[in-house]
Amino acid sequence: MLKVIEVCKRVEGHGEIKILVQNDEISLVNFEFKIYRGFENFLIGKKLLDIPKIVPRICGLCYASQAIASCKAIEDIYNIKISEQARLLRRILMTGELIKSHSMNFFFQTLPDLLNIFNISQKTTTAYDLINYDPQLTSNIYELIKIGNEINNLFGGRSIHLISLIPGGIIYSPSKKNISIAKKRFQNALISLEWIIEKFIELFSHQLPPKEFDAPNLIYLGLSNLRNYNRYSGRLSLKEANRNMIEFEKQNYSSYFGKEPELRGIDFYFDNKKNVIVGPLTRYNINENYGTDEIQTYLEYFDKPWTNNILFANFIRLLEMYIESFQSIQILDDHNLTIKQEISSLNSVKKIDGIGVIEAPRGTLLHHYYVNDHNSLDGIKLFVATEFNIPLINEMITNYAKVLFERTGDINLVKNNVQRIIRAFDPCISCATH
Amino acid sequence: MKRKFVIISLTSCSGCISSLISLDIFPQFLERTKVIYFQFISDVKDIEDCDICLVEGCVSEEDQISILRKIRKQAKKIYALGTCACFGGILSLSDIKIAEPISRYIEIDGIIPGCPPPMKLFGNCLIRLVENKEIELSEKNMCGSCPLRGNMEINSNVNISKITPNPEEIKLDEENSECFLAKGILCLGPITRDGCEHKCIKMGLPCEGCIGTVSKDFTSNLVNYLSLINLSQELKNYTGIFYRFSKPKLEG
Repeated sequence: MLKVIEVCKRVEGHGEIKILVQNDEISLVNFEFKIYRGFENFLIGKKLLDIPKIVPRICGLCYASQAIASCKAIEDIYNIKISEQARLLRRILMTGELIKSHSMNFFFQTLPDLLNIFNISQKTTTAYDLINYDPQLTSNIYELIKIGNEINNLFGGRSIHLISLIPGGIIYSPSKKNISIAKKRFQNALISLEWIIEKFIELFSHQLPPKEFDAPNLIYLGLSNLRNYNRYSGRLSLKEANRNMIEFEKQNYSSYFGKEPELRGIDFYFDNKKNVIVGPLTRYNINENYGTDEIQTYLEYFDKPWTNNILFANFIRLLEMYIESFQSIQILDDHNLTIKQEISSLNSVKKIDGIGVIEAPRGTLLHHYYVNDHNSLDGIKLFVATEFNIPLINEMITNYAKVLFERTGDINLVKNNVQRIIRAFDPCISCATH
Repeated sequence: MKRKFVIISLTSCSGCISSLISLDIFPQFLERTKVIYFQFISDVKDIEDCDICLVEGCVSEEDQISILRKIRKQAKKIYALGTCACFGGILSLSDIKIAEPISRYIEIDGIIPGCPPPMKLFGNCLIRLVENKEIELSEKNMCGSCPLRGNMEINSNVNISKITPNPEEIKLDEENSECFLAKGILCLGPITRDGCEHKCIKMGLPCEGCIGTVSKDFTSNLVNYLSLINLSQELKNYTGIFYRFSKPKLEG
């Protein structure tokens, strides 16, 4: 048996593709991670209030999501409800994070694949080529990245590993001036996004996406707030095509999925677990009210071959930035945003464990903490988006690699092309290797 | 002649390189230099000789040592990017994994510290590297330019019993004038390098030391500091406060 290993390019973190070849046939392709850091181990014994300061360091792209999921788990333990102002500000910070994460992923990591797959440009293999491919696109992308940074800086204290997020609320009450600055930024974001979305439609909507990116019969897992698009709160939902949606409360998650602390990966307690997907495609499929009228118009450019294809996630990511910029402008107009409320004090622990769940840019993120008598962490389980997607990624790349290798016998082509499928999922390896 | 850059990641959260990409000047940086290896955003597979290598992340795995030794031969200058590469970083909290600064294995030519490096400091450092100049960092601690109006107050009568104020006690800097140490809250400002614009302190939280120490000899600095303050028994027993971003090594 021959084992071929290839390091993944243009992904966040250290990932490898391991290809097993037996009797001139590919038997298995796995997307694997080299480095595990052990956050679940060294967080044990830490004071609850200390944890939201440590967990953002799991990931430099999903820092706000990690901190907010952590704060929510601790608020669950103390049984406190945060103020409406804090809830709204957290949502704005999540949007700042999402805009940065989605725009960097789209531009630097997946756009070169799209241009290559659809034979538009083969010359965008370096970042330098890419920034010169379409200067107007580059400037619109950089406008978005700058907006994400500024919003996080303004309401979070800095652009990564935010300072203002604490259990009980948020240390910040925005001035009228800052509200007006933020509003202008989101209005500019909408202008840049309209340009980018129209460019995407112009480049790709009239083409058919390749079959290797077609999704199997997916099981969508994500947070849904009465079927409205909202990544901060809601119930967990499982939806399979042609079946009724199952909704459940976060405290019942262990009936559907779980993990052993020492083992890597998530176990699913239902059939067809290789078809589970979290992230943008899930949010698009489980929400009925998916944004504004403009979004509906944009969606009409793409029909079935696209909507059933993993590459469609790229378009959905652009739309999510649009929806959230639009929602953020509404939040900035909400009078509750200026009603300053004291941060809830954390008096006595009400439960021995607490769960915080949100939708991070790449999908469902769940923190489950167990606490001891000294308000210190006794046990912890972290479920992150990329971990949920791994069985599906491995299934798709194995199936594709088998066919491609049988047809061409070219292992280098396999190494190269399976990476496109992996990148279409926008994996966050730092998160997955907490 | 454009300077050739290589950017590599060891064990990290990718926050430093995502900060790099998200700098306003990053597109100009790509125009003015030749980035020949940067796995996060490029397909190039092999590392070639370069003028400058930026290394993000700490050393936590055996094979990273040989990567570093190889790149030391290929790069004219190497800079540690971010607190993990400079001092070990957040994995210093782990008892199982090692988290070593890259300077433990190779000679380096400078550091760009911070978790992540503050945007202004980062942008300035990058411009200096592009212009073939040395990086300049403050050699002062946080206290001299602290926005809290009171003086730094180390008073052994005050029992330091908290690492963070209770949520309801947190006040933004305009309503918060007293040194944290005077209020019994541990602040690492006295042993931390100036350069982050006091972002946590402006938000009403004490310094955690994420940009690292101002002195090369962190251990003796820390011992001095601990001898001056009256730390509560509970905090003495609580692990991972002082070495959250850089574990001191007694063997130097």
